[in-house]
Amino acid sequence: MRIQKRSICLGTVALAAALVWTLKGQAPPTQGPVTYERLLKAADEPGNWLMYSHTYNSWRYSNLNQINEQTVKNLHVKWLFQGRHIEKFETTPLVANGIMYLTRPENAIYALDATTGRQLWNYEYRNPPRTFNCCGKVNRGLAILGNTLFMNTLDMHVVAVDARSGHELWKTEMGDYTAAGGYAAPGAPLVVKDKLIVGMAGGEHGVNGFLDAYDTKTGQRLWRFNTIPQPGEANFGTWAGDSWKTGGVTTWNNGSYDPETNTLFWGTSNPWPDYNDDFRLGDNLYSCSVLALDPDTGKLKWFFQFTPHDLHDWDSTQIPILLDTEFRGEMKKTLAWANRNGFYYLLDRTNGKFLTAKAFVKQTWAKGFDDNGRPEVIPGNEPTPEGNDHTWPGVDGGANWMSHSYSPLTKLLYVFAREEHRRFSKNAVPHPTTDQPDRPPAGGGLANAGAYDPALGGAKTQGIGAPEESWGAVTAIDPGTGTIKWQHKVLTPPWGGVMATGGNLVFGGTLEGMIFALNSTTGERLWTFSSNGPVFASPISYLANGKQMVSIAAGDLIVTFGLD
Amino acid sequence: MWLRVSFFVLVPTILLTAQGVQNPALTGEAVRGKNIAQTNPFNTEADVQQGGGLFQLHCSYCHGGHGEGGRGADLTAGEYEMGGSDRELFTTIRSGIPGTEMPAVRVGDDDVWRLVGFVKRIGSQGLKEKAPGNAEAGKVNYAKGGCVACHRIGNEGSDLGPDLTDIGRRRGLAFLEESIVKPEAFVPNKYRAVQVVTTSGSTVSGIRLNEDDLSVQVRDVSGNPRSFLKENIKEVRRDKPTVMPSYETTFSKKELDDLVAYLNSLKGAQ
Repeated sequence: MRIQKRSICLGTVALAAALVWTLKGQAPPTQGPVTYERLLKAADEPGNWLMYSHTYNSWRYSNLNQINEQTVKNLHVKWLFQGRHIEKFETTPLVANGIMYLTRPENAIYALDATTGRQLWNYEYRNPPRTFNCCGKVNRGLAILGNTLFMNTLDMHVVAVDARSGHELWKTEMGDYTAAGGYAAPGAPLVVKDKLIVGMAGGEHGVNGFLDAYDTKTGQRLWRFNTIPQPGEANFGTWAGDSWKTGGVTTWNNGSYDPETNTLFWGTSNPWPDYNDDFRLGDNLYSCSVLALDPDTGKLKWFFQFTPHDLHDWDSTQIPILLDTEFRGEMKKTLAWANRNGFYYLLDRTNGKFLTAKAFVKQTWAKGFDDNGRPEVIPGNEPTPEGNDHTWPGVDGGANWMSHSYSPLTKLLYVFAREEHRRFSKNAVPHPTTDQPDRPPAGGGLANAGAYDPALGGAKTQGIGAPEESWGAVTAIDPGTGTIKWQHKVLTPPWGGVMATGGNLVFGGTLEGMIFALNSTTGERLWTFSSNGPVFASPISYLANGKQMVSIAAGDLIVTFGLD
Repeated sequence: MWLRVSFFVLVPTILLTAQGVQNPALTGEAVRGKNIAQTNPFNTEADVQQGGGLFQLHCSYCHGGHGEGGRGADLTAGEYEMGGSDRELFTTIRSGIPGTEMPAVRVGDDDVWRLVGFVKRIGSQGLKEKAPGNAEAGKVNYAKGGCVACHRIGNEGSDLGPDLTDIGRRRGLAFLEESIVKPEAFVPNKYRAVQVVTTSGSTVSGIRLNEDDLSVQVRDVSGNPRSFLKENIKEVRRDKPTVMPSYETTFSKKELDDLVAYLNSLKGAQ
């Protein structure tokens, strides 16, 4: 009953707001169910945030401009959502029709009045006590179609929830979350047409990766793409022996979609064991790659492998950014990709052809690329038993899962880059199918890259947090050339993403909790807010009663800013 | 419900009986106390050394390379919220601590025991060793060296360096000696030295308490906490990792041994 009253109230507010918007000559947000047509034209609804990256091209760009270079100095907190949890808050909220939908760790959904932050309903999915995501019991967000929200869970389910009430509509098991050391699904799903595209995690164990599509109405699985070619499939045989059976190659982040060519783009993770290749010689397809798939069938159109035979856990699970740009005097339909391995890549997204690559952070492992984009690897960067601390970038990479942003206003790509020096250690890994039944995993990426010294005294690195050893930088890249136009340095390597806006701003947040707005043309810092909670998320922007808001998770809060 | 309970009780029992070493972190099953040994069966020196390697791989990111803590708890005190017996430590490492960021460590049971051995070693390093020097003479050297200006023992001293009240329990002899003669060899992040040069031309030296892109918080050499906005700072210098000088040439070998013996005698409240 309270929900109904609230809905009526919100409806009244929406009508009033529509009148105001009309008087201002600005189109109000579309109301009603979020149809696929609305998703296709999400850029035309800047008042809403209808999918993880805002639009299918994954620009994470809002063309709202009330908050701009001149007005941003007046930005202040409008409301807070108190998460009251200890896990990292990695969610990207959705906003539709005046309601913000967000996930709170582990797998709860909250619906809030986007104007005030007041709760409308919540849904709590209960995971088993023990789940197996490598890097926290996190969730990164939702997808929406019609009046239904979709969420992946840490115990490898996909759930559909009524966006009006939080009532669970269906629940589908993707697979056994306990198998092979543990599967999980922490990412946000993506709706394409009537299908829900869902990735999975577990690349720090000997899992066998895939990308799934489910019927949004029933939860029935429609196709599965094996990210490690199985016997009889194309490109089988790039793994020594039977290492393909336990090779990892997961799909734990979100993807992008090109309606013009009906192509789904999705990145893949590292091969397993992460830092020990003793029994997985070969290119290890399709690890550390981007997959171009037909979303109707799951058939592979093409792939590009950024890091063949990866040894550094350099997942290619960044969000694919689809943009048209000039390359050597010719307009191209391209895929722009700032990779965890430290290189920015430009590919032809119609066929996967390599166009160019340029380092955007310090790197020591490749001296160049051949015409097909295969790196010319510099020897001596391999993990060693005693620990190799001469390799850049570090295990968490020059970029990671956090969103990059592209602004059509400046025609620049913004990457919150990580300059980091860590140690790569190669630890012994028993062969998973022949050595022993109790399989110790290769070690999580975070821990395994730490200082290694069996003696109690004498660890050579000082751990995290020493600013003279590592830092971060919002980096503006000309997508056609890879040239860095400007950098805005911050104290520590970030774990948050960025969002560019029509107000000529770039928003983001640091690990120390400083939320900032930069001039997107120059990189000058124009505004800050000290949340003092680490930012592990990417910002969004939307309209509430006709007024632009910016929201981002910091600490266990969702902080929403507005002008007045 | 009965069937469900039976399943979860029986399956781990069967697994543990059949295979002996199945970590529930790899299977999803909860650890059951009755199946855990009371004392560590992997406690040779080689096991502890192996545990040290595993610690660096799996634990140091949060607990620090020397167990000094950080995002995770300080393990050098030998005090553990979930209990310090072999069995309790085994359970904590193997299953994690619900409701906290401490996860189950994903290694086999043998290696969990090796980690237990190493964690106990960190937490009682000084208790196992007998210092060759004279502690009483070392106390004099402690005063002579001016250590009290930066370190605290009980209620006496300062907070510019680590509290030494129970350092004899937390750290072994080699670590203590190295900290005196080569203090830069290991500096916990919370004791890293900075020099703040303000736009007005003054320089404040001390240790960094906190920092972000807007400000830096420092404990100055007089022990006072101070905060500076970076817009008022010309430069934050980090030329050397620690404010602690080397006493390598200050003390003779005997004086050094005596000082180490004194520090080793500081066990805190027993």
